[in-house]
Amino acid sequence: MNIKNFTNGLIKENPIFVQLLGMCPTLAVTTSAVNGIGMGLATTAVLISSNAVISILRKFIPAKVRIPAFVVIIASFVTIVGMLMEAFTPSLFTALGLFIPLIVVNCIILARAESFAYKNGLVASLMDGAGMGLGFTLGLFVLGSVRELFGNGTIFDVSLLGANYKPALIMILPPGAFLALGILLALYNVVQIKSSK
Amino acid sequence: MKDIFKTGLILLIISVIAAMSLALTNEVTKDKIIEQRAMANELAKMQVLPEATRFEDVTGEMATEIIENYAPIVEAYIGYGSSDEIVGYVFKSKPTGFGGPMDVVTGINLNSEVTGLRVGSHQETPGLGAKGTDAAYYEQYAGKSAAELIGVSKTAASGNDIQAITGATITSDAITVGANASIDAFHMIIEQGGVGN
Repeated sequence: MNIKNFTNGLIKENPIFVQLLGMCPTLAVTTSAVNGIGMGLATTAVLISSNAVISILRKFIPAKVRIPAFVVIIASFVTIVGMLMEAFTPSLFTALGLFIPLIVVNCIILARAESFAYKNGLVASLMDGAGMGLGFTLGLFVLGSVRELFGNGTIFDVSLLGANYKPALIMILPPGAFLALGILLALYNVVQIKSSK
Repeated sequence: MKDIFKTGLILLIISVIAAMSLALTNEVTKDKIIEQRAMANELAKMQVLPEATRFEDVTGEMATEIIENYAPIVEAYIGYGSSDEIVGYVFKSKPTGFGGPMDVVTGINLNSEVTGLRVGSHQETPGLGAKGTDAAYYEQYAGKSAAELIGVSKTAASGNDIQAITGATITSDAITVGANASIDAFHMIIEQGGVGN
């Protein structure tokens, strides 16, 4: 049962392609594959921790004030992680620092706290956090790779399309985020419909 | 009535614990963070003026004159070599690029040669102006003569011209404005007989 909590978030209930959660950071940071992975992993770390704390405290937090309580817990976590990273792992902070404050406004974290961690035990919530986080990372990585490939001719800064390829710059500019996401969602749905027949 | 007090109290407890852990983390990390930021600043100076082993801020009247008359320069440093002799100067400027102010650090040695340039924080477009932080771009400035101003060419680098980033002429111009303001300020310092001991 716990395994299912983990695998759910990867494909079947993928936060980006199925639940369409966290679109704001998704569209903003996926200009390259590396950015997508960075944002994804930072979110995963916060998601696992916040799911754990909320699951432990779920009997203590009254239903009426659960949303403000979640917001306080999540925002404190993100701030603490940011401060610790800047102080002790400065090189990691230069790479991910940009994404840390963005995590606070990521609705995946609040959505998982509300719909899963508040109703389930610690282990299941940890599994759910890890699965959803990695599913989010996978989605960001795919989106970032597609945009980087067509917009810059590279993935992870490795040139794949040859020197003669003229990059379609629009793909790494904001409109490209919507174009790439729309096309990927369509493809995902085609595959889902075909496989369910 | 009793219910309101109870829920309010629980929310208060959660907030107090969150605030306390934030205060505690801040207490532990704040000195370390200041130290890390100073180190990053020091590192940028070392990279643009490798001959120097330590730096001192330009202060007093000279600093005021540089900041007032040589915009967009915001800070100037004196670079000392291993036997405490002046080897050159480093200027930090904030020219306006396509997306807003950018940090440009320029080093010039006493032979009137630009020894290096780095672009720090900026808000340029990823894939376009953001290429100003790529070594392939900023290394063009190293070795340019500070006897004349640096020009920007859209086709090919020649003489004292650097080649602009394709599709990001505004960014290239802005970085060069920072470099040229540094060159002007450098000549002023030399004409006045230098600063520092």
